[in-house]
Amino acid sequence: MATLTRQDLNFGQVVADILCEFLEVAIHLILYVREIYPSGIFQKRKKYNVPVQMSCHPDLNQYIQDTLHCVKPLIEKNEAEKVVVVIMDKEHHPVERFVFEISQPPLLSISSETLLSHVEQLLRAMILKISVCDAVLDNNPPGCTFTVLVHTREAATRNMEKVQVIKDFPWIVADEQEVHMEEAKLIPLKTMTSDILKMQLYVEEKTQKT
Amino acid sequence: MSRDGWRKKASEDDGWGGRGGYMAAKISKLEEQFQKDAPREKQKDGTSSCIFSGVAIYVNGYTDPCADELRRLMMLHGGQFHLYYTRSKTTHIIASNLPNSKIKELKGEKVVRPEWITDSIKAGRLLSYVQYQLYAKQKGLNFTSVCAQGKQDLSSRHEPSKPSPSHPQSHSIKPQPNNTQTLSKEVLKSTHTNHTATNFTERTNHQLDVRLNGSCSIISEDDAERPRVNGIHDGDDVVDDDDDACALLPRGSQDTLLTNGYVHPVNGALKPQDSFAEHPPHVVDTGSHQSHLPQAESRDGEEPSCSYAGSKTNSHQRSLISTVSPAKQTGLYNMQKDLHPKPTSNPGTSAAPQKGNLHSQTRVRLNGSYHLSPNSSTLADSNNQPGRSGQGAEAGIISEFFSHSRLHHISTWRNEFSEYVNTLQSRRHAAGGTVFSGKEKLKKLKANCSSGSLMAAPQVRQSCILHVDMDCFFVSVGIRHRPDLIGKPVAVTSNRGPGRVAHRPGANPQLEFQYYQRKQKQYRKEKTDGDLEMTPSPHGDEVPSNGVDLDLAALSMAEIASCSYEARQAGVRNGMFFGRAKQLCPDLQSVPYDFQAYKEVALSMYETLASYTHNIEALSCDEALVDATNLLVELGVTPDDLARAIREDIKQKTGCSASVGMGSNILLARMATRKAKPNGQYFLRSEEVDDFIRDQPVSSLPGVGRSMSSKLTSLDVSTCGDLQQLSICRLQREFGPRTGQTLFRFCRGLDDRPVRSEKERKSVSAEMNYNIRFTQVEEAESFLSNLSMEVQKRLEGAGLRGRRITLKVMMRKAGAPVEPAKYGGHGICDNFARSVLLAQPTDSGQLIAAEAIKLFHAMKLDVKDMRGVGLQVQQLEGSHAGPSGQGPSRGRSIKDLLLAKQPAHSPKKDPLPQDGLPSPSSSSAFSSNQERVTPPSSPLPSTSSDPMPGTSKGGPYHPHTPNHVRTCLNVSIEVPSPSQVDQSVLEALPVDIRKQVEQTWRQREELPSTSSHLSTPPRTSSSPPPGPSLVLQLPNQPGQPCTTGIILELPDFSQVDPDVFAALPRELQEELCSAYRNKGNAQVHAQAQCSAVEQKKTFPQLKQPAVGKLKRRYKKKNTSPAKKGPSPQKKLFPGNSPAKSSPSKTLPLPLKQPGLKTENVQCPSTDVPETLSKFNPRPVPTLAGAYEFSDIRTLLREWVTTISEPMEEDILQVVKYCTELVEDKDLEKLYLVIKYMKRLMQQSSESVWSMAFDFILDNVQVVVQQTYGSTLKIS
Repeated sequence: MATLTRQDLNFGQVVADILCEFLEVAIHLILYVREIYPSGIFQKRKKYNVPVQMSCHPDLNQYIQDTLHCVKPLIEKNEAEKVVVVIMDKEHHPVERFVFEISQPPLLSISSETLLSHVEQLLRAMILKISVCDAVLDNNPPGCTFTVLVHTREAATRNMEKVQVIKDFPWIVADEQEVHMEEAKLIPLKTMTSDILKMQLYVEEKTQKT
Repeated sequence: MSRDGWRKKASEDDGWGGRGGYMAAKISKLEEQFQKDAPREKQKDGTSSCIFSGVAIYVNGYTDPCADELRRLMMLHGGQFHLYYTRSKTTHIIASNLPNSKIKELKGEKVVRPEWITDSIKAGRLLSYVQYQLYAKQKGLNFTSVCAQGKQDLSSRHEPSKPSPSHPQSHSIKPQPNNTQTLSKEVLKSTHTNHTATNFTERTNHQLDVRLNGSCSIISEDDAERPRVNGIHDGDDVVDDDDDACALLPRGSQDTLLTNGYVHPVNGALKPQDSFAEHPPHVVDTGSHQSHLPQAESRDGEEPSCSYAGSKTNSHQRSLISTVSPAKQTGLYNMQKDLHPKPTSNPGTSAAPQKGNLHSQTRVRLNGSYHLSPNSSTLADSNNQPGRSGQGAEAGIISEFFSHSRLHHISTWRNEFSEYVNTLQSRRHAAGGTVFSGKEKLKKLKANCSSGSLMAAPQVRQSCILHVDMDCFFVSVGIRHRPDLIGKPVAVTSNRGPGRVAHRPGANPQLEFQYYQRKQKQYRKEKTDGDLEMTPSPHGDEVPSNGVDLDLAALSMAEIASCSYEARQAGVRNGMFFGRAKQLCPDLQSVPYDFQAYKEVALSMYETLASYTHNIEALSCDEALVDATNLLVELGVTPDDLARAIREDIKQKTGCSASVGMGSNILLARMATRKAKPNGQYFLRSEEVDDFIRDQPVSSLPGVGRSMSSKLTSLDVSTCGDLQQLSICRLQREFGPRTGQTLFRFCRGLDDRPVRSEKERKSVSAEMNYNIRFTQVEEAESFLSNLSMEVQKRLEGAGLRGRRITLKVMMRKAGAPVEPAKYGGHGICDNFARSVLLAQPTDSGQLIAAEAIKLFHAMKLDVKDMRGVGLQVQQLEGSHAGPSGQGPSRGRSIKDLLLAKQPAHSPKKDPLPQDGLPSPSSSSAFSSNQERVTPPSSPLPSTSSDPMPGTSKGGPYHPHTPNHVRTCLNVSIEVPSPSQVDQSVLEALPVDIRKQVEQTWRQREELPSTSSHLSTPPRTSSSPPPGPSLVLQLPNQPGQPCTTGIILELPDFSQVDPDVFAALPRELQEELCSAYRNKGNAQVHAQAQCSAVEQKKTFPQLKQPAVGKLKRRYKKKNTSPAKKGPSPQKKLFPGNSPAKSSPSKTLPLPLKQPGLKTENVQCPSTDVPETLSKFNPRPVPTLAGAYEFSDIRTLLREWVTTISEPMEEDILQVVKYCTELVEDKDLEKLYLVIKYMKRLMQQSSESVWSMAFDFILDNVQVVVQQTYGSTLKIS
């Protein structure tokens, strides 16, 4: 049984690949479930062996892809603490925050055999949770938009400023207004624990959405 | 896209094998061309040398002289010129102008101005490139000007000790280095020169001699020599390696280089000649060899201390050797002469053995061993060894360092004494009252003198703080038993000699002094620039007073730890270098350190203080704050009386004098001390405060250091009176809101800091900046690992774990001497720090090491320049009990302290029951335990209902407890009442001690009414006999007679004073009630072994408390959920309980393991995999051993359905578990658990359950709020 450690060359990349793939699916799904965009732009696809919804609007897709492309190096280096999909109302006040809290175990090694199928199961569970999360959430006011925030560890931000992964797609420090939500209620959706990754998804919801 | 295309094209086979192939071919062709051209060029020009042998330059951008000219010069002088830059081959980059981006790109490369080349040629030798660097590698000051200055100073002063430039003999021997067998062909080829050239260079050298020699001791010069020396020795192709080797051994190689440096003028002058292997005028005669070498040796002998600069571990032994080394070297030389008895007239051959001589000398000096290896080509190797073996990276050195470091010792004492005070206090809390011997004495005294000699104390209750400070502690302790020294100027220092030490080559104290001086000047300049006010710096005069004196090179650098007042009158100050002090005060006597004595005296000082009150804040080993407010009121004496009594006491007990300052707050007390000193006391009355403080210099305020006071000076503020004139707004604007306000208050004598006997530790760290010299990354890494282990030790010692790990590194400042003025010191450094936040707190040295090494690599530092390494762990929280690292060791330090006093512990010796001050064992164990669990000030609820059972898990024998027993002082010892003792601690005690404790209790219980004030249960501070509930939880110790004993000995209920009972806290009442109920219930004893059954009995009993009562209790808990909830102990329960025999007093059975109820297993939680917590850095949160949600659910259901009313402990367990889930980032499970409980509990018919749920939820919400900033949505 081969065991890989974090120090192995591609370990961080493997995690980042898996995670970014998942995040892409998740973001699309969140946008669909929370009705940020008209459901007409979404198509049913299959991922992790479950049906998911994916936007077919090229600009939106590009935005999501670019964003995740930039997140990836951070995840590789274990510098991303949280990836947050913030849903904001017309006044750009956040009403919901889907927080993917990521932590990668520092020293654990992984065994490659059961890994992938196991992780896939966990991710699938998370996707399923997202697709039913509207049951526990209040409806959003009309005209919502979304944005993606990344909480980095340590001084990762500085590197991000220096190195633009995608040209003309820089990161900026989020407005306090976008990050902070008053009287938020926290709804945990799913926690997954695997050898390579520990992630939990919870939603922070504004108490009064209107 | 385009990039891809390009890459594709490049990778196509174009005959050159890609760019690499082409370029390689081109470069090698160019090099060939260069080599071919070189001789021609040399012939043409006439002048040539091999100054630059080993140097390969690359010219970047415009230079003057131009690149072509530089190329020509390099040809002429044996260097290499690269048209294309290759990192591996090019040694120097020549540029006069570089854009920022290029500088970044070339980070770490030597970028040098072209003047370096021209000047070197002019000088006839390779000059240090350092001064010509285009930019300094590390941001910071450039040393150029200092260097130049230093050179002049040195050249004038060092004249006698260096080889006279006009020494004809020495001239003639110098050529050796170039004539080694390994000399490369090119160099040999370039040996055509005519005599005039030689003469020319010789002349220039003479001119430059003074300067060159002077600069020998400037390290930067030597740095530059490395490549040259090595190049000559080993040929061009190995240059890089050698360079590395040298660089790896900054100290070792330095020595070598220095030798070369010293003979430099000669060497340089003859360099051209060297290459003439057959040049007639340079036939070397043996006589000159002989005459020179001893000379060189004697020079070496002048700097014995430096020769061992490279050694680390056993520097002591080595320096011993070094003092005799000159003689040996001479001998060695002779031996070598024997080996090569016949130097021929051919310098080429005769020079080689000489060279061997020189080198073997060097080697001798380097590693203190006596290898003879006449072949110079081994130089590099032999150099390497001493450097490596001498490294501080060896295992064990760190703990050794810390166990020997004086400063470390002293600085840890403060903690120890704080601990000590804590122990005293908690013990007092535990037992309700102590006999303060000192206090009693004073009382008596007062009674005796009440006739009138003592003034009637002001009965106004005004706070009074005493600041007790020993007078020049180290000195007075040091001369305690040496009356002959009393009244003489005395200094405590490690140096005992005349205050002079030999100069170590490689060290450059001048440079360092000048650096600091310059810094000072610059600082002053900056300030004046900024303010346009020419204010004299308040510290300007401190610089000279610290002994910046050009003479200092030879003075001892041992610092004075403390000096007597007589010495202070002569101008000697603490922290001054001994050499300097000796100059100021020639009679100065030095006294060695005596740490044992310091400890003893400090301890007895604290004991003395503790005999008056326990409101003591330990400031350091010789300084403490005492809050005497209550004491004074109680005794009715004046502060002055008290101070006098204390001082007399201290004087009598320690033989050392102490000064006491008194004031209404800490600030004033400290200021008063300043006035009180030496050996006096001063009471700063509140009415005098205003006048007093007005004249105090601002620098006397705490927190006003050098920088702030100079800032204040710039605001025209020098006294507190001036400071009072400034408005608070102004101050806050200048210094920030907090500091501003503090200043505002302080300068008015206002200070609301309380005397805190317990201070929370903010960080745990280990730092070492002495003798740090690494040559390889691995060494640094292993050093970091060792340091981490040290940190681990300390963390364990303090029972803490931390989340933030900070790596602090001191790096030699660019251009600073490689060898600092202080032996083994760090010299002038830049400080770097990086930190990382871990996901969870740790105290594992391995984890810390891994992180530290990661940080270290991220910093990308040159290990060779490391001068200090520190690891700090912050964001601490209490540790969960590790098998060995359990909390009690936090008290270890005191134990150590006191061990010296009470050498052996025998249980029989324990002061015991009769006097009602029984066994210390439980009390100390308890107190240390309590320390970790809760602040000692609130012992009642937390201990009696302590939900964290695992505080002292471990074997049946608590590894630390015996030590604790020893920690007891003979002052005021008592056994806390049973309810206050953590049962697990008790259990862990050795059997005999435990019996004693229990016996004590029994005795106490037996005489409840007779010895009324000590042992009647309903005392307010120490709680009464809930013993039964305690002991009943010992299901694993069926054999213990005590299990039932205590119950039986409960005082009869009729004897309990109902009033007192009513005054008890609610919890205690309950405890008592249930105890009595238990007592009545005879079968309980029979079932004592079976916790299951027992549990069933206890639950119904708890029904009694009224609902309102419960509610109140919950409310109370709610007020401090932060403390309770995330208490570090919570981790104890799940993973550790197995090792522990009885987890908690009132074992909540249903929570334990549902199945067990019927199985009736002895140790209910043994089946929890113990490995869980051991191998996983973070144990999975468990509730009573269960961690699968389904198990948890079963457990909860069991709990709620079988029990009509929840026990508080159980509830707290659940809260704890939930908090763990939050911290474990398992919100999902938390959510499920909460929702499940909500369903269960709110459906329950008993309203207590829904209240219990509210309580749990409230607590969890607080934790979630703290962690995530929002609360759970519970619909």
